[in-house]
Amino acid sequence: MENELKIDPILIEEFLKFNKNLIDAPKMVPAIDEINLEMTPYDVAYSEDKMRLLHFNSSIQKQHKTPLVIVYALVNRYHILDIHPQKSWIKNLLNQGFDVYLIDWGSPTNIDKYQGFDDYVNGYIDNCVDFVCDEADVEKVTLQGYCTGGTLATVYSALHPDKVKNLIVTAPVIDGKKDTTVVGNLAKHMDVDEMVKAIGNMPPEFMYYVFSILKPFEQGVEKYIHFFKNIHDKNYVDNFLRVEKWLHDTPSIPGELFRQWIKDVYQENLLIQDKMYVGNQLVSLKNITMPIFIQVAVGDHLVSPECSMPLYYAVGTEDKTMRIYPTGHVGMIASSFSQKKVLTELGQWLSERSK
Amino acid sequence: MESGAEFKNKMDPKEAADYFKHLSLFWTDMAYLISSKPSALTSAGPMRKFSLQTKKLANEMIEANDDLIEFNTKLAEYYKQLSDTWTESQKRFNTKIPEIPNDVENIESSKRVWIDIFENAFTQLFDSEKFGENFGKLISSEIELSKHWNNMLAVLLESVNVPTKDDLNEVYKELHSLRKRISKLEKNERKSGVKHNGE
Repeated sequence: MENELKIDPILIEEFLKFNKNLIDAPKMVPAIDEINLEMTPYDVAYSEDKMRLLHFNSSIQKQHKTPLVIVYALVNRYHILDIHPQKSWIKNLLNQGFDVYLIDWGSPTNIDKYQGFDDYVNGYIDNCVDFVCDEADVEKVTLQGYCTGGTLATVYSALHPDKVKNLIVTAPVIDGKKDTTVVGNLAKHMDVDEMVKAIGNMPPEFMYYVFSILKPFEQGVEKYIHFFKNIHDKNYVDNFLRVEKWLHDTPSIPGELFRQWIKDVYQENLLIQDKMYVGNQLVSLKNITMPIFIQVAVGDHLVSPECSMPLYYAVGTEDKTMRIYPTGHVGMIASSFSQKKVLTELGQWLSERSK
Repeated sequence: MESGAEFKNKMDPKEAADYFKHLSLFWTDMAYLISSKPSALTSAGPMRKFSLQTKKLANEMIEANDDLIEFNTKLAEYYKQLSDTWTESQKRFNTKIPEIPNDVENIESSKRVWIDIFENAFTQLFDSEKFGENFGKLISSEIELSKHWNNMLAVLLESVNVPTKDDLNEVYKELHSLRKRISKLEKNERKSGVKHNGE
């Protein structure tokens, strides 16, 4: 017959293989709940309310006097910085001889709904920095912030420059007006005052929604097809499930903090204009006089490079470095590329300034 | 005199909504006036408090209905935007790949083209002013609905002397301020070198 549809036998074979993988998957893949995201051992050095300051254990002799305090973001949990032995940001820094602390914000509940920038910056971060200074017997620490943690670290450094020896910011949210991402677009159209008044903390489900519309087809469709195709590759499956578990572990954001964030940083864009107030103090980025290292990713679809880069021109220090990497928001901190390139450059820069 | 049906037929939907709103409130008021005296006898129980608030409850329900209309309008617009973008993307894909692929290589490349076209179109939509604006209004109308829900629940909670959301917010606010004061005191003590047990 002329109109008969000819199907490539390889195609049928591929289809059957894919179906077999779907059937085999539950036998080969652990359930998400069975995956433990804790990798590098740590001690809880200090805690306050739900916040914990983690001090990572290292088998390598400490080679740099100044400790590094990482301020994690407000979205998801810190595990992405230690997601896999071969892609761990924390392990890499420990192996370079740095003494690494990390602030884990925990999971805020209704009781935390009135916590704002002041509580986070002048309360938690300041208490952690004081604690580390006491424990390590130093006057200043190196502060690193990732994503929204980068904004908090920037604000802290502007308000407490005497306690920060070096500042490292990785994809920070700084100039909300210039942000070209979907997150920025939604943030600009929210009636955030009413939203926080009515629902209190920002629920994780809302965060899921925002993430689900970032690259909806690559992240929502193709990623899972690829997963089922590679179900026999143990290393791939392990890595995939770890990242998936991390992605779905999103705590709420305290209502007041979310309100200030959306209003001051995205809608009114006060931070970059040196007009933002935190705890009755004006945040002037010119007060950032310590060495600063800014890391930006070209393919960042959560915080666009245009949103982070203005920090370079706004700070008061002369010792400033900005690196722009051909990767994405997560690729910059948890990939083979970040191990080879991003962390190598960071380690080099930091070791020269951690004596 | 015109009949009820004739009266309704003459009115536009807004007038009709106002008419029924008035009708409902009128009878709620009347019910309250008639029933308030006997229920005053049971002022220690839940009925007295509840009857005092019935008008509020009716009001909230009417307003919630208005907000539900707004919510549905914005939700319809939201799905329309998604559906239009989908149709447009599919058309573009069909122009680019008019034949059904029938081997592995072609399927792979068609899939890539499909994802690229849809990804670009939807990202463009989500980045657009019209999407952001409608999305903002959709969320706002949802919030208005949840406010009415809260207010109605508060009426029930108050009638049985259980703390409402506002009461809890007051407690949270107080706790927040206390925690802040304690933290400040602890910091000052640490600075002055005073050692605490258990620190």
